[in-house]
Amino acid sequence: MDISLETFNSWQVVRVNGQVDSKTVGDLRDFIDTKLTPGHPVALELTAVPFMSSAGLRTLLTLQRKTTEMGVDLALIGVASEIADTMKVTGFYQFFNIYESLQKLSEGDSNGN
Amino acid sequence: MEIERIDNTPTETIEGYRVRPGKPLPFGVSSVPGGLNFSVYTSAGTACTLVLFSRSEEQPLAEIRVPDHYRIGDVYSIVVYDLDYEDLEYGFRIDGPYEPELGNRFDKNKILMDPYARIISGRDEWGADPDWDRAYQYRSRVAFDDFDWEGDSPLEINDADLVIYELHVRSFTKNENSGVKFKGTYAGIVEKIPYLKSLGVNAVELMPVFEFDEFENSRVHPDTGEKLYNYWGYSTVAFFAPKAGFAASGKIGMQMDEFKQLVKKLHKEGIEVILDVVFNHTAEGNERGPSISFKGLDNRIYYMLTPEGYYFNFSGTGNTLNCNNPVVRNLVLDCLRYWASEYHIDGFRFDLASILGRDPWGAPLSNPPLLESLAFDPILSSCKLIAEAWDAGGLYQVGTFPAYGRWSEWNGKYRDTARRYLKGDDGQLGEMAQRVQGSPDLYQANGRSPATSINFITCHDGFTLADLVSFNGKHNEANGENNCDGGDDNHSWNCGAEGWTEDRDITRLRTRQSMNAIGILLTSRGTPMLLMGDEFGRSQHGNNNAYCIDSPVSWVDWSLMDSNRTLFEFTRSLIRFRQNHKCLRINRFDHEGSRYLPSCSFHGTNAWEVNWSAESKQLGWLMSCDDEETGHMDAVYVASNVAHYATWFNLPQLPDSYQWKLYYNTGNLESAYYENPANYDEQGILVGERSMIIFAASPRET
Repeated sequence: MDISLETFNSWQVVRVNGQVDSKTVGDLRDFIDTKLTPGHPVALELTAVPFMSSAGLRTLLTLQRKTTEMGVDLALIGVASEIADTMKVTGFYQFFNIYESLQKLSEGDSNGN
Repeated sequence: MEIERIDNTPTETIEGYRVRPGKPLPFGVSSVPGGLNFSVYTSAGTACTLVLFSRSEEQPLAEIRVPDHYRIGDVYSIVVYDLDYEDLEYGFRIDGPYEPELGNRFDKNKILMDPYARIISGRDEWGADPDWDRAYQYRSRVAFDDFDWEGDSPLEINDADLVIYELHVRSFTKNENSGVKFKGTYAGIVEKIPYLKSLGVNAVELMPVFEFDEFENSRVHPDTGEKLYNYWGYSTVAFFAPKAGFAASGKIGMQMDEFKQLVKKLHKEGIEVILDVVFNHTAEGNERGPSISFKGLDNRIYYMLTPEGYYFNFSGTGNTLNCNNPVVRNLVLDCLRYWASEYHIDGFRFDLASILGRDPWGAPLSNPPLLESLAFDPILSSCKLIAEAWDAGGLYQVGTFPAYGRWSEWNGKYRDTARRYLKGDDGQLGEMAQRVQGSPDLYQANGRSPATSINFITCHDGFTLADLVSFNGKHNEANGENNCDGGDDNHSWNCGAEGWTEDRDITRLRTRQSMNAIGILLTSRGTPMLLMGDEFGRSQHGNNNAYCIDSPVSWVDWSLMDSNRTLFEFTRSLIRFRQNHKCLRINRFDHEGSRYLPSCSFHGTNAWEVNWSAESKQLGWLMSCDDEETGHMDAVYVASNVAHYATWFNLPQLPDSYQWKLYYNTGNLESAYYENPANYDEQGILVGERSMIIFAASPRET
């Protein structure tokens, strides 16, 4: 799994490439804890994530809790349909703002929940 | 200030893993700083090895022999550090004597499942053929016990106000025409919540969801070649784990989350969740069955054994769990507490519950410790405890199940009486009158209430309602047992032709009989239970024991909603009617009625007079109470005629300030229920052949 940081408008975009599971999730967590600038909205770009395990989804939810507490927006971008299905049936989906692409994010056109 | 623990460091290394002595409680696996605590009980075992696997791997990662000084009493516990919780699967090897005649069946070559495991892998996807060559089939995993409940808690609906809907998770939405995306799963039920809500039920009772193996005794039908399964799942593999194969997310091991989401969503819509739990036996079968867990951990403790070491078979399925052994009792208690607290479950229905009242040698106990413990448990105190008050060993305790003021019962006598009454058998009026009132003959003398009686006419066991009125005998050929399985005492009547027919008189009579059944059920005191799909005529083509059928025969056919719309609308309307009329839900036998009328009175073709003779086929019941909210009297009168000819009923008179309104008439299928019931000013009414009519009193409009 690779993680990189870029910006898109006012958003800090964390671009993840590869599978997120218990073996890689620690890196993602560390990255989020150390590389983000407080006060700016966060977009997790997941288009290149083919699979996310239970531990991966839990980390997303922890991140959602943290950003809510900090009063910062969080968006998930390009969630694969299988991952979205898992999130729907397990109840994770409802906690997130999810967009097909960064373009849609800038247009404010979310996938709803 | 955060205080760092002084016991969170390893003390030694075994097989390359850093470990330290664990804590015996809680049993199973639990998370501690930096590691996992494993704890397992064996009273007669002599050594314990923890076997660790990487997910789905055939060969273990490591086998850690738990040092003997890690044992406290009969419990081995060990903390292992640096494990990948999500990837890990684990089991135990227990060494000890193999002396079947003494009840011991230890075999250190077998890897045993943790009886406290909260997730099991190995049967992740329903019906996917398992790799039978694997030494370890049902693999214990580590659970994330976290979930965002968003303030949810069990609903605690009064027993008498419940309308229970019994369903099989897979059957409910598996059919192509179910209209849901996640067919046959927990998530599929979530998609059907709007339907349940519109029907008006406020509890679902899920047939077994504890991890079971659909491949247990699976076989191919000798004639049809159809694959037959352990479809219903009345054979538990793991008591603490939800069945993965029922979860759309089972493939990635998220069945816990999906199940919790189901409970949360149902609660949000005011629907309770009752689980059908099977503690009377396990999937390990008899001496020829597999050694999954208990057999190899402590056979003599967990099972009722004959003096020669064979398995008692009070369950009819090979073995009998030794529920009144103190250790097993605690396991059951731990399990139910776990489901109540971790999954917010509202109630439990105990399969063959009479077994839970037998002593270790099978004799019925007068004061069974397990049933008492459950009744008085602090965590289970608001859970419904429902007994199937009989077992396969001949114990039949409807009316006498040790209740401790808490247990209610599936009232098998209600089912049988209502069925006989419906088809017009002689001599049923007296008993029907008892059943309608909540069976005081069974429950009043011992201080119980009407809601002790779970009233039902159909359930998963036996005919569906449509089949009850379409078949005289069972047709279980599809089960591959030469039609020998399933009950023969169905008290059913086919209305003139066996099975499917085009004869319109017969099909209309069947619809009417179905309405009559639902009408009796929903105007009786006690807690009514409906079987999934009966509200729109679900059929199993005469199969009264479809325990092994995973096909459209078992699956709810949602297209029937259109063809049997009237029956559905009738049922839906009557559920609301029941909820609107308190007098039908009175939960006391000593209730004094309303200011004008007794609580429950019986009538014949003349008001206040019943012909109780054996040939009599007409019974009316009138229930009444004062409604404190409206200040008015509530009264419902039901006139039922099970004769094959129409009969005139004189109506019981109401005080001048009230009048009857006619709500339902099953004799008139074109409009069996009235959305806007009209005032009924006549003194009597003609009740058609095999029909029932329901009135409610309303204050006279001036």
